Amino acid sequence: MVDNSNARDRAVTRRDLLKAGTAAGLASTALGSTVQAQTPSTFVFANPSEYDTLDPHTVFDYSRVATRLNFYDGLYRWLDNPPKLTPWLADSYTVSDNGLVYRFKMKGNAKFHDGSLVTAEDVVYTMERMLGINKGSAILFSSIIKPGTTKAIDATTVEFNLSRPSATFMSTVPEIHIVNAKVLKANTKGDDWGQAWLSSNVAGSGSYKLERFDPAIGVTGTRSPDHFMPWPAKYVERIDLRTVREQSTQVLGLIKGDYHGLDGFMPADALDRLRKADSVQILEQPSMRLFILHLNNQRAPLNDVHVRRAISMAFDYKAFITDILKDTAVRNPAPVPSNLWGYPKDVKGWDYDIDKAKAELAKAAVKIDRPLEIHTLVGLSQTEQAGQLMQAGLRKIGIESKIVAETWPILSGKTRSNETTPDIWTNWISTLYADPHNWVGEMYDSKNWGNWKTGSWYKNPKVDALIDKAFASTDQAVRDASYQEAARIVVDEAGSVFIYNTKWYGPFAKRVQSVRFCPVGNGQDFRWLNLG
Amino acid sequence: MDNGKGGRLKQASALWHGPGLATFALRRLVWSVATVAGVVAVTFLISHVIPADPAALVAGERATREQIEALRHQLGFDRPLLTQLADYYLRLAQGDLGKSLFTSRPISADLLSRLPATIELTLAAMILTVGLGVPIGVLSALRRNTWLDHLVRLVTVSGLAIASFWLAIILQLTFAMDLGWLPLGSRLPSGVAPPPTVTGLYLIDSLLTGDFATFGTAAAHLALPTVTLAFPAMATIVRFTRAGMLDTLNKPFVQYERAMGLPESLVVWKYMLRNALTSTVTQIGLVAGALLGGAVVIEAVFDWPGLGYYAVNSIIMSDYNAVLGFTVWVAIIYIVINIVVDVLHRLIDPRGTG
Repeated sequence: MVDNSNARDRAVTRRDLLKAGTAAGLASTALGSTVQAQTPSTFVFANPSEYDTLDPHTVFDYSRVATRLNFYDGLYRWLDNPPKLTPWLADSYTVSDNGLVYRFKMKGNAKFHDGSLVTAEDVVYTMERMLGINKGSAILFSSIIKPGTTKAIDATTVEFNLSRPSATFMSTVPEIHIVNAKVLKANTKGDDWGQAWLSSNVAGSGSYKLERFDPAIGVTGTRSPDHFMPWPAKYVERIDLRTVREQSTQVLGLIKGDYHGLDGFMPADALDRLRKADSVQILEQPSMRLFILHLNNQRAPLNDVHVRRAISMAFDYKAFITDILKDTAVRNPAPVPSNLWGYPKDVKGWDYDIDKAKAELAKAAVKIDRPLEIHTLVGLSQTEQAGQLMQAGLRKIGIESKIVAETWPILSGKTRSNETTPDIWTNWISTLYADPHNWVGEMYDSKNWGNWKTGSWYKNPKVDALIDKAFASTDQAVRDASYQEAARIVVDEAGSVFIYNTKWYGPFAKRVQSVRFCPVGNGQDFRWLNLG
Repeated sequence: MDNGKGGRLKQASALWHGPGLATFALRRLVWSVATVAGVVAVTFLISHVIPADPAALVAGERATREQIEALRHQLGFDRPLLTQLADYYLRLAQGDLGKSLFTSRPISADLLSRLPATIELTLAAMILTVGLGVPIGVLSALRRNTWLDHLVRLVTVSGLAIASFWLAIILQLTFAMDLGWLPLGSRLPSGVAPPPTVTGLYLIDSLLTGDFATFGTAAAHLALPTVTLAFPAMATIVRFTRAGMLDTLNKPFVQYERAMGLPESLVVWKYMLRNALTSTVTQIGLVAGALLGGAVVIEAVFDWPGLGYYAVNSIIMSDYNAVLGFTVWVAIIYIVINIVVDVLHRLIDPRGTG
């Protein structure tokens, strides 16, 4: 009897425990939701890539641009669309007649997050650090600024001494994210310029201060109320930049209200789903992100201009942009975005026309005696679709081809040499600074051969000279005309297959207001927006 | 002195050559060093001969050849492969897994920051897998060819056949979007701070600190990924347990125990199950090992900050040190689990001892 009784007691106890546990779980889950709902003014952004480092000088890409724009400041900043170079930590700048000396007058009231003033010495340290590390955006400056040449004239005046004139220097100044020299020096180990420390910490003066960083989850920041740039009437107190890799989860999370904003380059089917949700708004803006097929101009048979032109006429642009991408992009037939100066408006480009392509191919002097290889990127379905469409077009004009899918590190590694660069390969060229040089200048100047951006291995001394002229000149009219002419020649010689310029479709929760989009930064400068 | 030293040597020799479990585990542990070294060598060679160029990736898109070569020299990638491997062994022996090429953060710190999420999810999934899988396997065997057995077969075949990402999305749509009972993913929602770190496992840490609200929230976030992860694993455990039980059903010792009048529950759950569990324990070990290496798809869909995606990302970016660090972790996990499984086998079936 006693044993049975005990057994029943035990059973009751387990059941009670289960009930109590379930109740506690549900109650606390509800409580957790309440905590989430009550968090004041937190903007949650779901990013498809990891925020694996917070160091603004070791990376130079879009996947982590939000940390650079929100935790750091530069002397100037790109704002709005079309992008406008706007004084930020600096009030103004002067440039010497020979185009070599840039002197910036800084605001005197900007403070780092530790309360100390941002000075010209910090700018000098920042430039030396960038050149010393030689990673990320240092590549923009290492060929024109030598270490030790940047000077602090006084506490608020800094001078950059260029080794040769560069018309793009001002366009790239926003990429000099100023770090707190005193804090960095205190956290430097050996000759690492504080890299190990800064990868998980912030030493900036940006609109938001670091609250928490977990490379596996993301980064949160709280508003810096005494930021030198006046805050708008409404703003968000916290930003929560989370890594959410799966697109389906991003979409569901935005619809459910877990996130307030997503990356602005979602595929058409995801945008369709988001458009149907009452809680979501899609902000649309013209952008500057070109999609092209590189053609290896140095390898037979693609070293024959007639073959390249035939290939350019064998790609079905309309089917790709309208049928596959649902018109979420616009045709861009030249190597400069159509919404930027330097774009040759008179260039029509190559159209899809199989008969003309066959006729052009017949003019070729080289014999095509092997299948061409079209290399696409693993996991990026759009590149695979473009590859298949190219393959179908090539078959129609009698050229056999095979598609090879590769990861970016492998593909970009191959493009370092024209021997290993594939015949045809897919690529996006994003806006790292709003200047035609970012596209036609860097892609088709044969002096740049050896990095993936010159992966078409195009060479024309006339184009090289035009790009040189545009790069060195400070006369906007000269630069505009030079880039236009260079683009015309590259298109005529079918240096690559120029397909589209991306539109930006920013998916945001309906309550999000005042998003300030700029192609440089993809609308991820969050100090301007609010949650209504 | 000599006697003392000789005595210690004798003791060590006895331990090494002895018949006990400790001896067995010690021998396996010593051999495991060679296994880890071998795994590192293979991974090192494979990761260094694929045609990726991490120096170029670290240098950035505008880097000139000279800049890339300078960086390659700085990173030591221009040295002979065997020299690099020897250097890695040396650092590994000192417990140094190196730094990430891209973030400069210590690999050990990156792994440790992701380990708790992986361990928490694996433990939850294994508890569910074993807690349900073994009893269902037993019942299915005892009621062979009944509707219950057919139903279990249907479920287990589904568990093996259904793609994890599909199941994950269906669960999200049903329980997070339609019913609104559970969150979509992540370990905690935005705005909820993790409990103070004791173990890194949110459920345990929140209980230890008496933070029951966070415990409930963390449990709710754990639910869907756990079920998704446990479903195929449970199918395996059910099938192996069922097969083991069927194998044992008509053994003479079972008939003898029944003839002795022992209660059926005792015969089934103690004597039969113990004999049937040998292959199931092996499977549990393999499943646990696989899960502790990270579940990439589940982590991606449920935004779970575990090891799997870190490994994939490191491979894609050719972050050699991260790939090797992860490999060392997985090798150690499998070695430890294999030792535990072997020890359990000997406990379950002592005939193998000696």
